[in-house]
Amino acid sequence: MRYILRQTALTFASFALLYVLIGGLSYLVFPDPSHGGPRDFQVAERTLFMTVPKYVFLGRSVLDTPDSKVLIVGASNTAVGFIQKLIQPKLACAKVSNLAMGGANISEVAQVIDLVRETQSRPSAAPNTFVIGVWYGMFADSDIRFADPDRNRGESDLDIEKYRYGFYRRTANGPVAVLPSKWLDAGVMAIRPLLLVEKAAREARTGVNLLLTGRRSAQRTEVEREAAVMSEQDKKKALEYWQESMGFKSGISETQFNLLSSTVASLLDSGERVVLVDLPIPSWHRDASPYQLGYEQKLQELSGQFKERSNFISISMGDLDGNLDYSDEVHAKRHLANIWSERLAGILSSFACQEKTNKPKVSSRAPEQATAASSDH
Amino acid sequence: MSLTSPLFFAFLAGVILAYHISESVPYRRLVLGFGNAIFIASYLTDYIQILPLLAFLLLGYACVSILSVWKSSLALGLAVLGVLACYVFLKRFSFFDDLGRLPFPYLTIGLSYILFRILHIMVDVHSGDLEERIGPTAFFRYTCNFLCFVSGPIQRYQDFRAADGIAVVKLDADAVFRAFSRVVAGYAKFVIIAAVAEYAFSFLKPQLFQAGDPSFARLCMLYAAAASLYTVYLYYNFSGYMDIVLASGVLLGQTLPENFDRPFSARSFLEFWQRWHMTLSQWFKFYLFNPLVMLLMSCFPAPALTAYLGVFAFFVTFLVMGVWHGTTAVFVVYGLLMGAGASINKLWQVACAERLGKKRYRTMTETLGYVYFARGVTISYFVLALTCLWTPELSDFTRLIGRLGPAGMSAAFAGIAFAFGLFWWLADRVAPRLAAPAFLATARDSLVGRNLTLASQMMVIVAVTALLHKSPDFVYKAF
Repeated sequence: MRYILRQTALTFASFALLYVLIGGLSYLVFPDPSHGGPRDFQVAERTLFMTVPKYVFLGRSVLDTPDSKVLIVGASNTAVGFIQKLIQPKLACAKVSNLAMGGANISEVAQVIDLVRETQSRPSAAPNTFVIGVWYGMFADSDIRFADPDRNRGESDLDIEKYRYGFYRRTANGPVAVLPSKWLDAGVMAIRPLLLVEKAAREARTGVNLLLTGRRSAQRTEVEREAAVMSEQDKKKALEYWQESMGFKSGISETQFNLLSSTVASLLDSGERVVLVDLPIPSWHRDASPYQLGYEQKLQELSGQFKERSNFISISMGDLDGNLDYSDEVHAKRHLANIWSERLAGILSSFACQEKTNKPKVSSRAPEQATAASSDH
Repeated sequence: MSLTSPLFFAFLAGVILAYHISESVPYRRLVLGFGNAIFIASYLTDYIQILPLLAFLLLGYACVSILSVWKSSLALGLAVLGVLACYVFLKRFSFFDDLGRLPFPYLTIGLSYILFRILHIMVDVHSGDLEERIGPTAFFRYTCNFLCFVSGPIQRYQDFRAADGIAVVKLDADAVFRAFSRVVAGYAKFVIIAAVAEYAFSFLKPQLFQAGDPSFARLCMLYAAAASLYTVYLYYNFSGYMDIVLASGVLLGQTLPENFDRPFSARSFLEFWQRWHMTLSQWFKFYLFNPLVMLLMSCFPAPALTAYLGVFAFFVTFLVMGVWHGTTAVFVVYGLLMGAGASINKLWQVACAERLGKKRYRTMTETLGYVYFARGVTISYFVLALTCLWTPELSDFTRLIGRLGPAGMSAAFAGIAFAFGLFWWLADRVAPRLAAPAFLATARDSLVGRNLTLASQMMVIVAVTALLHKSPDFVYKAF
């Protein structure tokens, strides 16, 4: 017995020593970011958190400040289309963060919003302006969207992050918090050694990729995306992909739409601002997709539902649908992303930066129209 | 109770601590008995789920008790038939759907290994190899030992009895450290190597069944890679599990038998099975192959036939062993492939020995080229046969084989054989040069060095576990 107890003590002591050493090292390599307010979550790769979902989940406490905040949420086209460093200089009144995640559906967007609000105290939440970028591809149920073989069916990237370090536990009704959100920073501090080891593993993998293929990852660079032109075969494959990914042959998920509606309503009821952006896709895709028409009708209904609310605005950028402006069936090329960003910044400067009024906002196609529409009231 | 769950660690620690609190043999047996019951109960969500397993155990115990007083061959035959029929019914083999099913879900984990243990006791009691009268609590501790419950190893009762709750467990600092190291190494195999191989496999497998028209070369490479990754996954998952079980056994005074002995270094299919899932192979050797050979030799006593009777007995033994792995039709194919592998291997040995003479045949098998060729071919055959385990529906299996065709299968076989042969050739040359310098070895083997090494391994395991999106599971519990 004494040998077993002695070895147990030695093992735990050695592990604790190593853990503390690596934890200390993590502070040297990646100093703890100050809580200076919102930041661009799209640069997660350069941080200790490595991925956007991890950065959003573990690093969201920086959003707990009383400043005005513009929080952009959505899927990958929102991530690449709304460039934080272009929008921020045009918005003196608010700090901008882009929390959009690749592959997100509405459920995951709602999760992001819930996580942000969970970590914010009431005074910090009030000046939020959520920009929700949507397109039809986000209205697929989680069981369909998150069905990769390496995850439990239906679990989003954020769910995975919730369970990964035991901050949440898995139940039949979904994740249940183990660590109260007020302890989030302490929890992150406790897992820093693990994050550093993971970061080292990822960097090693990147090094191997670089060595074997001459590239850091399989993702296309901005230059390659800018030069990309989709062939007819690519377009056919893309349409087939979305047919498989949506879970319905033509319609979109009613559940996801209802969730978007309830999420927006909840934000508006608590006094936060919402900008709902109907994101454009290339015209060939819009015209060929069996989902687009139903999506547009539903979105109009939803916009109509909230149009009298002064803290809501919906915009559409459907005019930006040039086929050659997209690197694939969804993602804007950089030159178009600049236009998206400037257009959003224009709308936000007149919406998010104004003092709260009771003026209702209506949907518009372009910032000029949005501004005009709001001044009409 | 998943092996990778914190709950299992807490349970294991609790059992080990409770076991060592007192040296009283009855107390220790009580701890082990309770440990088994708690472990099994962790798989239940309703008490009714345990009833079929309890009935199976009761039937087994009744058969053993009867055989210990009535040692007739008829009684043994009836007992074996009764236990096998009960097992087949409870295991829900798809071939016996007509037998009907119990109208509620119940526990089937561990059933196969309980069967092996019960059959072993019955045969040994009948033959007189086991003369001791087995009490019900000892029977429960043996058949449901929580360390071996899910997937073995299959220990002989005589060996189990020798260490069942013994008063003095011979442990010293080195033995305990070795046990801790082996547990950690087991987890490293389980959650790093096996899980990464499974991760890669799970991305390749769907591509084999996707619609479209991939090129022949791409399809063959995809199949060879997927099949090889599955084998790596299966081996490291299972052998990692065994490392954890065997090392935990050491801390409880149990010397459980080894189940793996570097199987991929085998030079023939028959040797492979002497190194892979060894306790299962030995069980089948003792309780199926040997009696079958004896029976055949008594029916066909001509000495010239002896070798060929062995070939036939190998075929039957490996067929049954293969079919045992699953409950669907594709496992019959697996059994046939195993049987074919074993019998062709035996035929090759017989033919070579006849043609070349035993001495020249032995010399040939020692030549460098033959060794790596034989290793490559052996592993390649096993890798391809394992396809049955990852396509458990016959329709999927035939679709895949049809898609590859004879040319695709042959190309994949040759590719895997070449890759593994080359790997071994390189490994045998590189490995001896990888010894750490003396000063590093001394530092590593010091008290601080070896514990920090252990802690580093644990750190990597925790980090990799955190990287995975879902907890790795033990693959062999399904068989």
